Amino acid sequence: MLKRLLILLAALLPATGYAADLRVVATTYTMGAMASAVGGERIDLAVLAPPDRDAHFLQAKPSMMRDLRRADLVVAVGAELEAGWLPAAVKRAANPAIQPGQPGYFEAAGHVDLLDVGGTGTGHVHDTGNPHFNLDPRAMQALLPALAQRLGKLDPAGAADYQANATQAITRIEARLSDWQARTADAPGAVFHHADTRYLMDWLDLPTLGYLEPVPGVPPTARHIQELAESLEGRDGVIIHAPYYPERGPRKLAEALGWPVEQHYTEPQAPTLTAWIEMIDGWVDALAAGQ
Amino acid sequence: MRNRHPERLLLSALMSAATLAGAAPAIAEETPLPLDPQFSVILDGVYYDDSIDGSGDAMLGETAGIFAAHGHEEEDDHAVHEHGLEQGFNLRHTEAVVTGGIDALFDARLNIAISDEGDITVEEAYVASTGLPAGLRVKAGKFYSGIGYHNEKHPHSWDFVDQNIAYRTLLGIHGLADTGLQLTWLPAWDHYTLFGIEAFQGDDNERLGTEAEHGDDLPERDKAPRLWTAFAKWSPDLGYDHALQLGASAAFFRSHQEMHDHGEPEEHALDGDARLYGIDAVYKYDSGQAYGQGDWRVSGEYLWVKKDLEVAHHASTPGVIGEARDFREDGLYVQATYGIAPRWELGLRYDAVGFTNEKRGPRAAVDADFEESQRWTAAATWHLSETSRIRAQVAQVEGAFGDHREDYTQFYLQYQISLGAHGAHSF
Repeated sequence: MLKRLLILLAALLPATGYAADLRVVATTYTMGAMASAVGGERIDLAVLAPPDRDAHFLQAKPSMMRDLRRADLVVAVGAELEAGWLPAAVKRAANPAIQPGQPGYFEAAGHVDLLDVGGTGTGHVHDTGNPHFNLDPRAMQALLPALAQRLGKLDPAGAADYQANATQAITRIEARLSDWQARTADAPGAVFHHADTRYLMDWLDLPTLGYLEPVPGVPPTARHIQELAESLEGRDGVIIHAPYYPERGPRKLAEALGWPVEQHYTEPQAPTLTAWIEMIDGWVDALAAGQ
Repeated sequence: MRNRHPERLLLSALMSAATLAGAAPAIAEETPLPLDPQFSVILDGVYYDDSIDGSGDAMLGETAGIFAAHGHEEEDDHAVHEHGLEQGFNLRHTEAVVTGGIDALFDARLNIAISDEGDITVEEAYVASTGLPAGLRVKAGKFYSGIGYHNEKHPHSWDFVDQNIAYRTLLGIHGLADTGLQLTWLPAWDHYTLFGIEAFQGDDNERLGTEAEHGDDLPERDKAPRLWTAFAKWSPDLGYDHALQLGASAAFFRSHQEMHDHGEPEEHALDGDARLYGIDAVYKYDSGQAYGQGDWRVSGEYLWVKKDLEVAHHASTPGVIGEARDFREDGLYVQATYGIAPRWELGLRYDAVGFTNEKRGPRAAVDADFEESQRWTAAATWHLSETSRIRAQVAQVEGAFGDHREDYTQFYLQYQISLGAHGAHSF
């Protein structure tokens, strides 16, 4: 019986080898946006993490393994952002092409200048560097050519297209930079929920006035909010948090300081460069609201 | 099994698969291989009490039925295996885990359990392939069987303090873990579908596939592998918020022996085979809110065991040697957890054994029917951070033990802390 089963398996082997478009699986919508900007019509894209929640806390779901099983390329953020689920999903997907170390496994973190390497010493998930560069245009501009090169390696016939697409995407981002910087030039800084805006503030050279989480990953406490309110008394600023975080903490702080509260997702709501640029626009507006 | 050496066939299949894997593309220089092993340690402590002077947890391993009549010599060999919680403070196994990639073709995991007295048991030590084509994976070493849903979960990822009584009675407190080979196949289908088969030595089982020792009266056990399993899992794509997985499994123990050496009837030994069938379902809902608020996890399993044995030794009535003894018992659990507030989770579980619980022989005098045992459990878990949690749990047991029934209440208070890298968890 076993023999027959194996013959059956062998018969199914060629069926999995057909080549249409390159199947690309991105872990987040930002990675999906960059992959679609570079891959264009030549790739089929699936994104594992929904755009409206924290990509740390996902689980390796069967549907992820289904997507990864057929993938030619995984585009991950890296720097341990997906450490809680991607390694298990990639392993269990039983796809040798996308195992770490193979050309089919791409980590954006390897092509970006990471901040906070060595950890913040606060028990957070990451000590290989801060993985939240999804709000940083410089990081996107750095990883786009690397992604084009990787896609070209897997699909040599499209290599020239990928390079051209990457150059075009970099130009589109470049065209917005001076506007974004001008709009936030006089912004007073902001309080965020979680340390996922490090790169954004570093790029715009604006001060982070505090975090609602006392320690990354730990929900805000009344005492911490009170301490923040006392230390920021008399200053201008804005509180910005993702809609999936509880609203009570930011509201209390806003009442104490008389600041506006802005809600913004840290991922684009569609895996396209246009949606990613709209997202940065939204964050720039939010930061400017503190003026 | 008509083929006399199925393990050789399987081995040669694995070898040819490994050769195929050699054709995998060369390692790209851009992405470094995660060769550094990851270490983590999980500390687990429980305060336990119940309404019958603290004996209630140990009794759960002895509910009336076809598994209650054993001799217990076997268990003393495994000093680290915990046999229930004692009244008061318990330091449960400290789990030490090392995981890592070895090269482009394999990764490995070592899971050891250290008892409060310093005894060490290997819970899992395996290498698994990552380089096979066509959705195939091979695992070799000692590992938790892929049958069922709860079986592969280590105690630090249980939703309740203790093992459900269906697993505990039919498979043992640690489920089914043994030394052998696993082959799984994940076809590139539109819905996640996984098939698996396993061959195990059949030496390391707590409840099924056990070996009894009694001189020359008992026949030699069959050659290993003595335990074969098969399982399938299927999951439809329900989008980002919902996930459902359905599974079915079977296990066949070619050689099962047991010794009945206390109480009536007099000392005797049985030899034969045993099989287990199970179905499982799990549903998860991700609410999209932070810190687990609003999330649901619901799972349930039904297990059914049949042991076809013959009397191989009898101290007082040698005439019954050769007579058949058929045993059947089943068990189930259904459990749910709900994120009631950021980092707070409530859980409810119903577990039971013995809806079917019977012994049959060729003479009516041999036949016996045992009663069922059931329990309701409620738990509240506070996840202080990603790496630490505190859990309080109460349970109401309605149990059948030997010839009497006993109802009692259990109380648990638990902490679990993990040090080091938190590895990725499977679904």
